Amino acid sequence: MNREQFMARVRTAAAAGRSYRVHVNESIERAAGYVGGGADPIERFASQATAAGGQVDVVDDADAAVARLLEICQQYSARNCVAWDHLLLESWNVRAALAGRGVEMSSAGTLPGEDAATRRWRLLSADLGITSVTFAVAETGSIAMIDDAGCDTVASLLPPVHVALVSRDQLVPDLFDVFDALEARKSAGWPSSVVFITGPSKTGDVELKLTTGVHGPKHWHVIVSR
Amino acid sequence: MAHLDTLGSDKATTGEVSTDFRASEHHEFLTASRQALASANLQLALARLGDTLGQKNRDAYAAYPGSSAMRELARGIKDRTLAELDRHLETLEASVHRNGGQVHFAADAADARETVLSILKSRGCRSVVKSKSMTTEEIHLNPALEAAGIETVESDFGEYIIQLAGQRPSHLVAPAVHMTVGEVAEVLSRHSPEPLPPDATALAQFARGQLRARFATADAGITGGNFAVAETGTIVVVENEGNARFTTTLPRIHIALVGIEKVIPRLADLPVFLKILARAATGQTMSIYTSLLSGPRRAGQVNGPEEFHLVLLDNGRTRILEGPLRESLFCIRCGACLNACPVYRAVGGHAYGGVYAGPIGAVLTPLYDGLTANEHLPHASSLCGACQAACPVKIAIPELLIKLRDQLHEAHEAQHDQSRLENFAYRAWGWLMRKPLGYRMATWLASRTVGRSQAGSRWLRRMPGALGGWTSSRDFPAPARERFRDWWHKEGEQAGQSRQQGSSQQQGPSPKTDASQRPSEVRNRRP
Repeated sequence: MNREQFMARVRTAAAAGRSYRVHVNESIERAAGYVGGGADPIERFASQATAAGGQVDVVDDADAAVARLLEICQQYSARNCVAWDHLLLESWNVRAALAGRGVEMSSAGTLPGEDAATRRWRLLSADLGITSVTFAVAETGSIAMIDDAGCDTVASLLPPVHVALVSRDQLVPDLFDVFDALEARKSAGWPSSVVFITGPSKTGDVELKLTTGVHGPKHWHVIVSR
Repeated sequence: MAHLDTLGSDKATTGEVSTDFRASEHHEFLTASRQALASANLQLALARLGDTLGQKNRDAYAAYPGSSAMRELARGIKDRTLAELDRHLETLEASVHRNGGQVHFAADAADARETVLSILKSRGCRSVVKSKSMTTEEIHLNPALEAAGIETVESDFGEYIIQLAGQRPSHLVAPAVHMTVGEVAEVLSRHSPEPLPPDATALAQFARGQLRARFATADAGITGGNFAVAETGTIVVVENEGNARFTTTLPRIHIALVGIEKVIPRLADLPVFLKILARAATGQTMSIYTSLLSGPRRAGQVNGPEEFHLVLLDNGRTRILEGPLRESLFCIRCGACLNACPVYRAVGGHAYGGVYAGPIGAVLTPLYDGLTANEHLPHASSLCGACQAACPVKIAIPELLIKLRDQLHEAHEAQHDQSRLENFAYRAWGWLMRKPLGYRMATWLASRTVGRSQAGSRWLRRMPGALGGWTSSRDFPAPARERFRDWWHKEGEQAGQSRQQGSSQQQGPSPKTDASQRPSEVRNRRP
């Protein structure tokens, strides 16, 4: 349809509709809905993510986190992983640790000379996806990630197991804080894809019985290093 | 209010039909309800729905002290946005362009179908995956795509089941809730080399395998949108399965069909809605996946669509926007009012006949599809208010239903097809309610006659003459044996006496009532 006609119609209707505005208590502030992380934000994050069906490990340092990651790989007999090219994974020496156990790790991004179909197949056939996060939200037990080359959000979607590695400084108290932080990035160009994840892929579509792993990962792990 | 009756008023109610109400839209609320009440499987499913999703919603609100404030805030955002919807849509359009996407404007369902088809055809698309979208249901997109030779697969597990069964969704967020696991196994087994067991997990795994192949090969992904953020040009898709993420990540084209009322001005408005949407829908704190999608992939990105198209849909929304039912456009399609509603939980989603079911469907279907064609829907409510109490944006659904009833009454009156007896009865009632003496005399008479003779049962099963219409499908509460006025008077005197005697135990009238006066023995009579 003609854009001008469409907009003119909306303009007229919106103006006429102002006679039917509803009464709203205008004195309410966002603060009334702020939950935050409480006394121990890591504890709050862990309990919320667990309630959502996640498996959360809170460990003392990077070494303990990597040791836990290796256990998880063993648990699922993972032989090949796709992982983010991310500073946190580098500084935690994740690749070397996995190689030491004979677990292959390739980039979630495009390898040199790889075409799109080959990459997609590589990601779809991976046993496990390893990512970090952009933010972890204490209030809801969610992780948030901004899609970027090398830090592809599909690594959290295609493999049957997703493990997210989180350091304390990535944790924010409340959903409102995450959006304030995202807001600050607006001027630098808004990213094409941001995703919040709160649990393993889930459906209750048959008789409201919850079952996991219907499209995305069946198992969702988060390892948080204090 | 004739302007409300544009689309479907010509579709008059037909006589006896043997329609499968699960498969086609219709205007047969009473017949379809009767069928629904007689189906044992459906009754089981609906009981489960209220006990699980409905209860989880109430628990989630109770566990979040800010829930009422956030619902009020969300309501305010919707109200303010709609007041200047044109301006926000222009901002949205500019933002989508800035992100490298394209915006299309569709005045009605046919327009929207044509727009989607022309995008697909001009780019040589042969196959489409869809993620759950009520808006695409509303414009009947799937049959149009199929007719154009474009292979279309629903990827939400519930919608996938519904599509293979050839039915319509019966619930906003749980489209196959009316089916048993056995029925689902039977439907999916038709598409499997070997019979599938009646086990929810096994069936979901089968769907996962079938749909993975579709995601990898589909040319385009089609979604709706829970919200559209004007300032960033972001379409927000909220889901639990991950199928919407596949749909918007793997195919090279993403088309989002979004009603104009879904726009919110700022990114900062979004967390207000996210904090209440999942709590209302399923009792979750957050749904599993919330995707913020802003246009095609950027330079350097390897995931996401190469093209992004936003189709903005009017289809009657501006007509609602300019009228007294405007508030119904606040709806964020969470399904909470369905789970809370005693009528929905008795008759299920298919009985409502339209795309949207339950209390909000009883408002929206008459608005979109014509009031007189759907005249039973505004009456398919006891006005108990459970829907409003559950609604994350506090839509006054009972009030909206009353407004629709009022419009129906006016339409009938204009056509002079209201009976003279009915008119007389309402006038007499109105007169009586305005005259204290007359009212007192009438209640006295009722309590002395019908009240005393019915003191045992408290409910009238059958009323005489024209009043019989009421009791043909439900009971009428009998007048009390003792009027409240008399009881109050008596108790007040007693209380006064006991106060004079210096007793501090009884202060004023106590809520002590005769056991037979409590409506606890409501018989569940069904037609």
